[in-house]
Amino acid sequence: MLPFILRSLEAAMIFTFAGLGELVNQRGGILNVGLEGIMLFGATLGFVAAQTTESYLVGFLVGVLVGGLLGLLHGVFSISLGVDQVVSGMGIWIFSFGMTTYIGSPFTGPLGMERLPTVLGISPFFYVAVLLAVGIWFVLTKTSLGLAIRSVGETPDVAEVSGIHVARLRYLCVVVGGMLAGFAGALYALYYNPVWNYNFLMGWGFISLALVFFSMWNPFLLFGGALLFGLLWQLSLNPELLLPGLFSRYIWRMVPFAVTVLVLVFISTDWFRARWGATRPQALGQPYHRE
Amino acid sequence: MTVGGYRVRILRRATLPGWEAALFSVLALGVGLFLFGFVFLFAGASPMQAYQEIFRYAFFNANGIPLTMSRFIFLALSTYAFIVPFRAGEWNIGMTGQIYMGGLAAYAVVYAFGGKVSKDVPLNPALVLPLMVLAAALGGALMGGIAGYLKGRWDVNEIVVTMMLNFIAFWLVSHMIKDGGPFMNVGGRGEGFTLPTSLRAPTVLGMPFTILFVLVLAGALEFLFARTSLGYQIRAAGLSSKAARYAGMDTTRISLWVFLLGGGIAGLAAYHYFAAVPGVYKIPRNYGEFGDLAFFGIICGLIALGNPLATLPVALLFGGLSIGGRYAQGKLHLGFGVDYALMGVLMITLVAFQFFYRYRIVVEPLAPEPRPSGTPAPSDLASYGGE
Repeated sequence: MLPFILRSLEAAMIFTFAGLGELVNQRGGILNVGLEGIMLFGATLGFVAAQTTESYLVGFLVGVLVGGLLGLLHGVFSISLGVDQVVSGMGIWIFSFGMTTYIGSPFTGPLGMERLPTVLGISPFFYVAVLLAVGIWFVLTKTSLGLAIRSVGETPDVAEVSGIHVARLRYLCVVVGGMLAGFAGALYALYYNPVWNYNFLMGWGFISLALVFFSMWNPFLLFGGALLFGLLWQLSLNPELLLPGLFSRYIWRMVPFAVTVLVLVFISTDWFRARWGATRPQALGQPYHRE
Repeated sequence: MTVGGYRVRILRRATLPGWEAALFSVLALGVGLFLFGFVFLFAGASPMQAYQEIFRYAFFNANGIPLTMSRFIFLALSTYAFIVPFRAGEWNIGMTGQIYMGGLAAYAVVYAFGGKVSKDVPLNPALVLPLMVLAAALGGALMGGIAGYLKGRWDVNEIVVTMMLNFIAFWLVSHMIKDGGPFMNVGGRGEGFTLPTSLRAPTVLGMPFTILFVLVLAGALEFLFARTSLGYQIRAAGLSSKAARYAGMDTTRISLWVFLLGGGIAGLAAYHYFAAVPGVYKIPRNYGEFGDLAFFGIICGLIALGNPLATLPVALLFGGLSIGGRYAQGKLHLGFGVDYALMGVLMITLVAFQFFYRYRIVVEPLAPEPRPSGTPAPSDLASYGGE
């Protein structure tokens, strides 16, 4: 049972990194539905780089770098060129899905490196994820930078008038968000599931995206959601721990996705929106043009 | 900004003439194909030779043409499945899941008639074939309808929902065809049972008859958008869902309809690939790769600007590119997934070109007499981001 729980925590850590990146994005008013794509790219290039150089450090750095670059690309499209954010995000996802399939195919198979060390049975990055959630919460709610980011996500025109450079701040958010997503992908490929395979991320990016919606843009709730989904994901892989013999293992694999849909529906109900709907950044998804 | 005596300005567009939009689509395609040449270069192949191989095999080779046509039918149907909700401003990226459900539903009919036992079971195609097609459309429509209802009723993000449904349907197919699932091949090879020979789809001019779905739907969808009240409401919702609601339209119903329709068409694509394409005639082990092909429908739909008639040439081109790409990959010893990479590069180029749908670049000689300051010309008022 203990290994199962530890493994769930490690899954949660990946959801947390990716989700926190998207959360920062969205707090700044930029929606990036291409999260899955950025993670896939970070995962694949991180995997390739680590395997060729036999260095984990290089792998992680490449993951972060490619994530940052894709975040920047999303920024160029959606902030500077005024492209619809959903179109740009979908573009980044399909671009990444296509390119990583091509780039990664020759590397199909296990990573073949000594596993990264653990602290108290889990990856040290888990503790980093917790600290990062606290750090992002602190920056967003207790600092002037956080206030500026939030104001850019709520009412960019008012922020602009009060002397905030909207585009610059939004670029900061998308690049940081991309770097975190790329890192989450690299962590997935170098630690959690170190076997490259066609489309091996299995929708983790889309689940992380959904997690941001139900976190109500609060880093702590996001972390809580990540814990829940880490547990659910592990359970879907090892259903015999809870209900042995019930359903085939394939049916269990559907559970995290089905729960995502149910939770999304729940937070979209009028009852929920009437109470907590106001937490959504108001300018989310809307391009901002300086007049 | 001034460049060598010329003033370059970026102006926001109020409207975009149809021919200009079409021109940008073609340009985006051209630039994307050019950029992809670098991928060939990196792989050590000559881009010219690679494109020659691709087009020659896809469009002028007796082995390639039937494959291209089958792929074209599949892509055109996937594209329709995308554009119907797209015209209403909603993103259906769940064609994959709708295709899996359509495929399962079609084979459920065969299963119900006892077709699983052997591929020699004599079944009456006049009865079973139409039922298969109907079931496939219904299966896809139901799957799409879930997302459409949730979107319309509670504004649940349709991108995440359709993606989640893709994975749910993916595992459902595994459950049905693997590890002793009800649709598993008797040989136990982890794939679906083979379609009885008696149920093989009839052909038209050497092509699966599903080509008729593509042609009929092109006209029917064009008619739907241009001439019917539902089509008008779909377009209105696409421009502004808020305004449509304000005008008294039932946006919940519109959402539901576009997703039912889109999903149903995706179901037809499933029938086509799993039950009408020669050489497949079952739900194969690698059904995931077939399903993911449907994502090409998103790109085709965006290039075709949501127009059903324009979908035909675009889907034909993409069908050829993906078939020819797979062939060139073997012939020129490239890595697996050239066709996927091509899809990715074209998609990102297309996104970059979206800029031109919103803005236009005006280059004019610097005026000899400067305008008196303080009285900007009307066009300056719309200029983007200052000078």
